[in-house]
Amino acid sequence: MTAIIKINNVAKSYKSQQVLQALDWEINEGDIVGLLGKNGAGKSTLLKSMLNLSEIDDGSITLFGESHLNLSTTVKSKLGYVPQENDEISWLTVNELIKFRRQFYTRWSDEKVDNLVDLWDIDLNKEMGELSPGQVQRVLIILALAPMPQLIILDEPAAALDPAGRRLFLKEIISLASEEKVTVIFSTHITSDLERVANKVAILDQGKIRYFDDLDNAKENVVSLSINQHDTDITVPHLLRVKQQNKRLQCVVSKLDKQWLTEMEKQGVDVVVNPLGLEDIFLEITT
Amino acid sequence: MIFMDQFVISPSSGVPIYKQLLSQIERMILNGYFAQGDSLPSVRQVATDLDINPMTVSKAYGLLEERGYVERLRGKGMIVAKRDEEVSEKEKLTMLNTMIKDLISEAQLVGVSEQQLLAMFVEQASDNTDVESQNTQGKES
Repeated sequence: MTAIIKINNVAKSYKSQQVLQALDWEINEGDIVGLLGKNGAGKSTLLKSMLNLSEIDDGSITLFGESHLNLSTTVKSKLGYVPQENDEISWLTVNELIKFRRQFYTRWSDEKVDNLVDLWDIDLNKEMGELSPGQVQRVLIILALAPMPQLIILDEPAAALDPAGRRLFLKEIISLASEEKVTVIFSTHITSDLERVANKVAILDQGKIRYFDDLDNAKENVVSLSINQHDTDITVPHLLRVKQQNKRLQCVVSKLDKQWLTEMEKQGVDVVVNPLGLEDIFLEITT
Repeated sequence: MIFMDQFVISPSSGVPIYKQLLSQIERMILNGYFAQGDSLPSVRQVATDLDINPMTVSKAYGLLEERGYVERLRGKGMIVAKRDEEVSEKEKLTMLNTMIKDLISEAQLVGVSEQQLLAMFVEQASDNTDVESQNTQGKES
């Protein structure tokens, strides 16, 4: 496994507010990573920092082995980015904008552009300023994918899209993931989207990557244990929270200890494992 | 050819998607819905049909292969493997046992006693037998 992104001890503050602190993170080639975080957790700042669109105060970031401050043209041509805010020239038509952007790239797939324009129902002759937020979002995604990047960073790509638009977007990510060795990072609030397409989930909380693992591992490990109240004297490993419900204790753990579970079974302690969806996992970890 | 629209995926469930896929295919092989020699659609096909990550599908296929439900044939992809009758019989029982265990935990969670659950079970079972005997009578007349 090669790490495509290495983030080492990164710090960033706005005025007196520390947004990122001592943040370490590595992302491997081929991973589809969903980044979760509360509003204001610093997701956009982190994604922008990777591309040096936002300056960091401390630490280092490398992309494809090169410092993010000094990327070669080769590495730059491998990057695709979809910003949260649209700052494209509003008086250009979609067609003009595509032609304009095309000149800056050595690799550009007209086929991909045509396909997506067709599939996503985009009117090429409309000016950017005339488009709805959802249509603008689609155009931005097309612009990012056209140069066939190997690392795609998307900041809340689905926020402006309706359910049908989101599904089309997810389909595109899935086809990218099965076609080539493409690495994707996207921030989102919509956990069900993440659960469909991501193989890794990251949770940004209090300036750090608080949780980063395979999505499957997260679901198998962060669980709620229902324990008979007669057995209250036992110690539950990796405990996050306890709640009483229906004469039973509900214990949320960050890591399900299988050995402990077998031991409990042997001792005749009645423990029922209840899986949690990603939304619950996120809330349990961040609160 | 097996088509993927028979599968139901619930991405927000706490059960990982690969497990959902795995148990559904397992069940369909055990109850004979998929026959020996049937070929499974490609990983890519499943991923795009169900809108899920292809790695998730590979993982489910890998486990099915490991457990002997399917085998990889060169040029044909994954096909449903030939199974030992005795083993299949055992696996059917294991599968039902798991479902019963889940049901018991569920009953505990909502505060239904074992006696109540057992009574409900007997009632449902006898209802089923009634319907079945009615059906047979219907056919005879």
